[in-house]
Amino acid sequence: MSPDALRSLALAAVSGERRPTPVAWRRALRTQLAAGAIATIASTVVWAALGGNDFWPRWVLFGFATAIALQIALRRALRHPAGRRRRFAVHVAIFSILMPVEIVVWLLSGLGFFWPVWPMLAFSLLLGAHGWLMSRLPPEREQELAERVDTLTRSRSGALDTQAAELRRIERDLHDGAQARLVAMGMSLGLAEQLLRSDPDGAAELIAEARTATVSALDDLRAVVRNIHPPVLADRGLVGAIEALALDLPVRIAVHADLSETPPAPVESALYFAVAECLANVAKHSRATHASVTLSRHDGQLRAIVSDDGVGGAARDRGSGTGLRGVASRLEAFDGTLELDSPTGGPTTVTIRVPCAS
Amino acid sequence: MRVVIAEDLALLRDGLTRLLEANGFEVVAAVGDPDALAEALDGPDRVEVAVVDVRMPPTFTNEGLTAAIAARAKRPGLPILVLSQYVEQLYARELMRSGEGAIGYLLKDRVTDVELFVDAVRRVAAGATVLDPQVVAALMTNAHERGPVGRLTPREREVLALIAEGRSNAAIATALVVSEKAVGKHINNILTKLDLPPAADDNRRVLAVLAYLQDEA
Repeated sequence: MSPDALRSLALAAVSGERRPTPVAWRRALRTQLAAGAIATIASTVVWAALGGNDFWPRWVLFGFATAIALQIALRRALRHPAGRRRRFAVHVAIFSILMPVEIVVWLLSGLGFFWPVWPMLAFSLLLGAHGWLMSRLPPEREQELAERVDTLTRSRSGALDTQAAELRRIERDLHDGAQARLVAMGMSLGLAEQLLRSDPDGAAELIAEARTATVSALDDLRAVVRNIHPPVLADRGLVGAIEALALDLPVRIAVHADLSETPPAPVESALYFAVAECLANVAKHSRATHASVTLSRHDGQLRAIVSDDGVGGAARDRGSGTGLRGVASRLEAFDGTLELDSPTGGPTTVTIRVPCAS
Repeated sequence: MRVVIAEDLALLRDGLTRLLEANGFEVVAAVGDPDALAEALDGPDRVEVAVVDVRMPPTFTNEGLTAAIAARAKRPGLPILVLSQYVEQLYARELMRSGEGAIGYLLKDRVTDVELFVDAVRRVAAGATVLDPQVVAALMTNAHERGPVGRLTPREREVLALIAEGRSNAAIATALVVSEKAVGKHINNILTKLDLPPAADDNRRVLAVLAYLQDEA
């Protein structure tokens, strides 16, 4: 076995690199078998020419056989996916080659005391310890996947719940707001139509009423639209929308943004509503005079930090399903997190993180 | 008065045309996108005022706003009234930065009060600044939370809001059902309390008050 091949195998065993392609491997194996055969025959010839006592070429044969067997065993072991199992398989492979090698060395070196018993014992203990350790630790990959499935199940049902609740809210807002106003408008206009000839003044009054109702209906619709997707977010993107939001609130809010590119629309929307909720809390509860929003992108993560100089003491779970908890569950759908730091006496800092591959 | 209407929804475009023509305006062009608007403004008819919707093709976001600001960069002081389904402080500020006066920013809903709307178009054409009551209300609330606006009496605050919306003394008197003289007195008190210099004409005063409120808010 060439030193290079050995090194690459060793490297592969440690780092989980891809093994060489089967074709390259088969060629390498053939070359080694041929080299081994030639070397054995040559040494046998030399041995015969030199007089033929003690058959030393057996060591040449042994050397090649060992190297080739070790490669085959390691290759089989490396078929396991990278990780703990592969390391154990490599361990077993080395063990299963070293054992026979020792016995063969004992055989070839003329029997005598069966010394391989000691290394065999040591190796068995090592392998046993390794196996025991494997069985004790939870399987890492499975563990990871199980946790991920848990999180996804939870966040998906959370997202669906949030979405369903949102839809119900929108339906109710439309039903009680704009729809009701349109019905009232229709009634006013119908009545006005009846009164047009007999009581023009009364008709004019009703028409004026209907006109006022259109304004209220439009107000209602605007509020609903803002909650679905604020138009300014579509117009100006995340940063512009947050700047616009900051202008609307009675607290002075500094917006710092360092986003090289636009995040995907759903992420943008989730972040916007998260920041909007935080700023609404600042305006409502914090008694702050200054607040800031910092948007940045780090290591494939979008980060929004909302902080204020208010009285602190904000709790994530206050209220029922609304507020920050609602924001957190909405963020979970994007694997986002919300971290709240609000000691009594302030200041309050909310850190929102959403993974976002660029 | 020669007016250009830019609104992408045909239903509203026709409605606006009818409404303005019924009130003595000459609609020289009613267009549906920013390019056609620019063309109409460059045309041979010297347009006196443009009524522009914020949302227009191609992206249906804020093309109208951009087009209005661009048109005023090209022809400074060109009177433009911008209409929108929703109003933003941010956009109001951007429009006001596009040159002093002759600018309006109103919710589309305001067209339902035909008299007020027509009056707003005329005032913008005459060089006034007309802001939607919603923008002004937000400005007032924010300014109140922070500064001397809080020291005004409720009546004075009402008057201040109406000034900020761009109304004239006479219009304020009508709206509050008081005499013009009373309005004048309120205005003097407000300007003193806010430490603003008395302004020669209505437009200057509106601009001073708005600058003050935006600073405070």
